[in-house]
Amino acid sequence: MIRAFKLEWLKLKHYRVFWILFGLYLLAQLIITNGGVFFLQWLESKEVEFDGISPSILPIYDFPDIWQNSVWLASFVKVLISVVVIVSINNELSYNTLRQNIIDGVSKREFLLSKFSLILFLSGICTLVLFGSGLVAGFMYSHVTDAKYIFDELEYLAAYFLQLVVFCLFAFSLGMIIKKAGFAIVIITLYSLVFEPIVTAILEFSPIANGFTKGLVKFFPIYSMEKLVGKAYESPFAKYFFQEIKDNIIWYEWLIAIGWAAIFMLFITWLLNKKDLKA
Amino acid sequence: MSVLKINKLTKKFGKLTAVDQLDLTIKEGQVYGILGPNGSGKTTTLGMILEVVAPTSGSFEWFDGMKNVDARQKIGSILETPCFYSYLTAEQNLRIIAHIKKCSYDRIDPILKQVNLYERKTDKFKTYSLGMKQRLSLAAALLSDPPVLMLDEPTNGLDPEGIAEVRQLIRDIASKGKTIIMASHLLDEVQKVCTDFCILRKGVKLHEGSVNDILGETNVVEISSGNMDELMKAVQQYNGLEKIEQSNGSLKAYLKDGQSADHLNQFCFDQGIALKKLIPESKSLEQEFLKILKEND
Repeated sequence: MIRAFKLEWLKLKHYRVFWILFGLYLLAQLIITNGGVFFLQWLESKEVEFDGISPSILPIYDFPDIWQNSVWLASFVKVLISVVVIVSINNELSYNTLRQNIIDGVSKREFLLSKFSLILFLSGICTLVLFGSGLVAGFMYSHVTDAKYIFDELEYLAAYFLQLVVFCLFAFSLGMIIKKAGFAIVIITLYSLVFEPIVTAILEFSPIANGFTKGLVKFFPIYSMEKLVGKAYESPFAKYFFQEIKDNIIWYEWLIAIGWAAIFMLFITWLLNKKDLKA
Repeated sequence: MSVLKINKLTKKFGKLTAVDQLDLTIKEGQVYGILGPNGSGKTTTLGMILEVVAPTSGSFEWFDGMKNVDARQKIGSILETPCFYSYLTAEQNLRIIAHIKKCSYDRIDPILKQVNLYERKTDKFKTYSLGMKQRLSLAAALLSDPPVLMLDEPTNGLDPEGIAEVRQLIRDIASKGKTIIMASHLLDEVQKVCTDFCILRKGVKLHEGSVNDILGETNVVEISSGNMDELMKAVQQYNGLEKIEQSNGSLKAYLKDGQSADHLNQFCFDQGIALKKLIPESKSLEQEFLKILKEND
């Protein structure tokens, strides 16, 4: 695995496009998770009130709620991270370097592992940055800073990590079958932000929805990975208005997401073994 | 030791059979040419033994059963198009190769000097000319000092100077006892550098053997002298003659088996004729190639 990661590292260390794209993602993640206080202040300046409560006193950065809040927000920009993965995969195919790597002595398994290690690296850094920015915001604004609260509900960070890994593997699979990077990016954006959400919303909420379709949606890829940190309509902020929120991750939600990771890995392995890599 | 053993290797693309039940054995130290017209399955064969094309059936074995991945790390390959990361420099690209081939980074500078790219090593691959790109693939192939070199149409697209350089390089490498496998549609290239060869057509192996066996001398001798009519008359008396014909101001004498140019020379001398020209015709791979193709029609 270390050898596989080093192979990937040699390819990306000096690749400016990669660092810019990854940097942009981290920036977007930081803005969306830590910009909340400015947003609330702006709302207040516009004299918006929620049930008579001034927005700026909402304790959105209180430990441990901050973890669920940030993770839920960061989940909105995750499509950007798939761009990094798609560009990396697309380079290998368009420069024919995947073929060259294999000819030079990389096994297909090792190639898969090298890209998987990249995905773990990206997701790991994103999660760490989220943890770091959460700590900073928490220490600045949280009303409680006991370790007991800080380290409570860290499972949301693990859920965020898993979500990114599964989503990146999805991008990896798409990158392998769609030759043009731009097209692959459009497809993953449309699929994850438009197509699947519409289909799952119909199956879950429309008049035709029944017990079966409501169970079925849980197995959709984007649905299952988003369910981990809360779907878009499951805002953790609703609790400030005394509404019920999703406040835990059910065991089978972890399992379905991990299942998708395994399916994507198997699919890519199958593709690598079956595909003729022509010059 | 056998470097490569191919056993009934077959590749079908839909209805088309690109490689059909191919058997080959390549031994250490051979310079082996896979000869065939375009589309005869040469590149597909190389693709299969390098595991980038999945065989339909059949098998192959490197170095008496070494794992394929490990074997590939011991093979330097130059395929038709140079493939590198265009946003990386020559040096950074070679670091990737060195990592894959498990060899030291120390070899990068000397090899870049050897192929005349040292001054440009910190420039990005995308700024290179075609010639430089090809030299970089040469550097990549030689980086790990591999015991086996695999070349696919090695002189394709090179200028005459480049062609001569690559051929010289192949001979130099072969003289160090390394094994070279090359695919080519250029007969005289195979004739000039290979020790052994096979002929493929439509994925079928038509012939296999050593280059020396198939070449050698024919029993045709081209002769001329000051007085051609006199020579013609005299040689017709020669009892070792099969037939004689005129061609381009000289005579072509077809000799019977067991007769050779020195016998004919002695005969003419005894008849009081001094020969101005005496050239035994040697076989060319081209003639043999056409003959083999004809035999298999």
